[in-house]
Amino acid sequence: MTQLLWSDDFCIGVESIDHEHRELIILLNEICQALGGKSGIVKDKLMGELFARISAHFALEEKIMRNHRYDRYQEHKLDHDKLLDELREIMDDHEASGYASAEKLVKALVSWFTLHFKSEDARLHRQLG
Amino acid sequence: MLVVIQKVGTRLFRVFEELADRFFGPKLNPFYQLGGLAFFFYWIVAASGVYLYIFFETSVTEAYNSVERLTHEQWYLGGVMRSLHRYASDAMVLVVVVHLLREFCRGRFNGVRWFSWVSGVFLLWLMYASGVGGYWLVWDELAQFVAVLTSEWLDWLPIFNMAMARNFLNEAHLSDRFFSLLSFLHIGIPLVFLLVMWIHIQRISQPKSNPVGGLAWRVLLAMVVLSLIKPAISMDPANLDKVVTVVDLDWFYLGVYPLMDSWSYGSVWLLLGGGSFALMLLPLVVRPKRISVAEVELENCNGCERCFVDCPYGAVVMQARTDGLPYEKEAVVDPDQCVGCGICVGACPTATPFRRQGAHVAGIELADFAISELRERTINAAEALSGENKVFVFGCDHGDELNSLKSDSVAVMSLPCIGFLPPSFIDFLISRNYADGVVLTGCRDGNCHHRFGIDWTEQRLTNQRDPGLRQRVSRERLSRLWYGAGHIKQLRKELTAFQEKLKILGPNRVKKNRVSDGDVDGEELRGDL
Ligand code: HEM
Ligand code: SF4
Ligand code: SF4
Ligand SMILES: [Fe+2]
Ligand SMILES: [Fe+2]
Repeated sequence: MTQLLWSDDFCIGVESIDHEHRELIILLNEICQALGGKSGIVKDKLMGELFARISAHFALEEKIMRNHRYDRYQEHKLDHDKLLDELREIMDDHEASGYASAEKLVKALVSWFTLHFKSEDARLHRQLG
Repeated sequence: MLVVIQKVGTRLFRVFEELADRFFGPKLNPFYQLGGLAFFFYWIVAASGVYLYIFFETSVTEAYNSVERLTHEQWYLGGVMRSLHRYASDAMVLVVVVHLLREFCRGRFNGVRWFSWVSGVFLLWLMYASGVGGYWLVWDELAQFVAVLTSEWLDWLPIFNMAMARNFLNEAHLSDRFFSLLSFLHIGIPLVFLLVMWIHIQRISQPKSNPVGGLAWRVLLAMVVLSLIKPAISMDPANLDKVVTVVDLDWFYLGVYPLMDSWSYGSVWLLLGGGSFALMLLPLVVRPKRISVAEVELENCNGCERCFVDCPYGAVVMQARTDGLPYEKEAVVDPDQCVGCGICVGACPTATPFRRQGAHVAGIELADFAISELRERTINAAEALSGENKVFVFGCDHGDELNSLKSDSVAVMSLPCIGFLPPSFIDFLISRNYADGVVLTGCRDGNCHHRFGIDWTEQRLTNQRDPGLRQRVSRERLSRLWYGAGHIKQLRKELTAFQEKLKILGPNRVKKNRVSDGDVDGEELRGDL
């Protein structure tokens, strides 16, 4: 089962963002676990929860970037928007396929998460830090 | 009675506004920016006033001559400035009175708006005091007429007890000192006026205090042309030893003077004072319908500020966190300033229709129209739809009543404001096949009852403002019909046309096919990054 572990590398030094990153990872892992057995509705709820929380997280991260006049704001935000589109894609595919191809989808989820952390959020950390 | 006036007035305004829409379009329509125009006229008056003042002599004997010289010898600039000064002041009265009537007819004077309304009544007095004062300075026969009547009228009030009229008994009594005082008043009162204008819009966020869309320079151009065609001129010089009767009045400012002449001063006081008093009491007499104000749900708020940025009434403020969560800020709603439009809810990232793990609550909610209720009602209405070309119509309480549009394939729902609708609901309806298309309607473009409902919605749908409608949602399945109330026929027609278009587009079942075709997998998604 895919697992995403919190690492201090993920810390960007802004308390609220780090807090949300941690929470998101917990939620993501919960989803990974749930995908094995749980009923469709439970998974749907977890996905919806993730969507709402990630949306809120991006909103906050973007606000903080604006406040700091972060230079790669546009690119970072573009990536957020792309991730949200993809997450919605995953949610719908997931629902439409009767929650079958779960494992693959979650893999994708975890991978974009890691990638965004490593590239955009980490750079944000270097800039704000 | 008042309600009837409001209804009739609203109808009349609608006719004129839509006529103006034809000529100007919604962005330039002067009816939609009367307050901003009033500000603009103020600036014209102020700028031209400064110019006039340079050449103006503040003495009884020289005032008239200095204005004459300016008007005739320097007609190309001084004369134009004088005319601009007068015509912009007149135009200001016009737009302010229409602004007042319009706010009244649309019921925007009570509840939270009492503040703008009552300060507006003060503005009326200050505007007249500024303008009438200006007419004195020319010191022609009209000035004399106005000066004598005004001072006697003011003297009628026992509180002043300064017997101003004595100054105007005859030429010998009118001192240069008193005249200088008048000209200072003509600077001082407009400055206070400006201050109160500023106060007037303090409770409105992002007030349109400037005309937008190029209206300003068009108006200025029109004013200059008018000034050249029909320059403002003086009458004969004043002569206090002679009684003057004036027929050629500036009705915008001096409309009540014939009344002062023929009625008793007491009755004019009763009319103006009593009228203003009644206006100020209006917000107390006519109470707003009970509104459902917004409330912050802290456990779902991370302080992203979107609601704060989008609230058209400055009712949301950001404060230091109070619940110990590691966030810097939290949103707080001032219930005394909230009108219950729900635009903040439409802005909140946690207001989504997708199932949640815990309670279905957004960061900010309308007390009587929770996001969970919106979700439930939307799903229920959508599930009742059948057939092809299923359309979901969202409207607002200030637009047309939509129930007559309902059918097997059309669901309708009215919201407090279209800005209440989080864009994710559109995504939800279309991508989960609840509807083949979504229609948004409500107020008229440029004329949203809650100021920014339409603007913010448009910007969210075109991804110029967060939360944007996800790019994945086909814009072809979305129709916006900003017609405003009174256009149900046109709505019906457009709705039918939209359904025809949807028929051609075919049913919205892309997703399902794609997954069963099996062409989505993790690898591909990762590749997209
Ligand atoms: C010189 C005079 C005045 C100026 C310059 C002025 C200007 C403005 C401006 C710029 C706005 C904001 C409009 C917007 O952005 O949507 C506004 C709103 C308003 N004005 Fe005035 N105004 C004047 C006189 C008055 C008067 C005489 C009244 C009524 C007695 C009045 C009542 C209101 C009300 C109730 C609103 C609030 C509308 C809302 O909350 O949506 N104003 N005014
Ligand atoms: S939009 Fe929602 S999450 Fe953001 S500050 Fe307002 S209530 Fe909080
Ligand atoms: S309901 Fe409207 S007025 Fe009230 S806080 Fe939200 S956006 Fe502001
Ligand atoms: Fe990010
Ligand atoms: Fe992040």
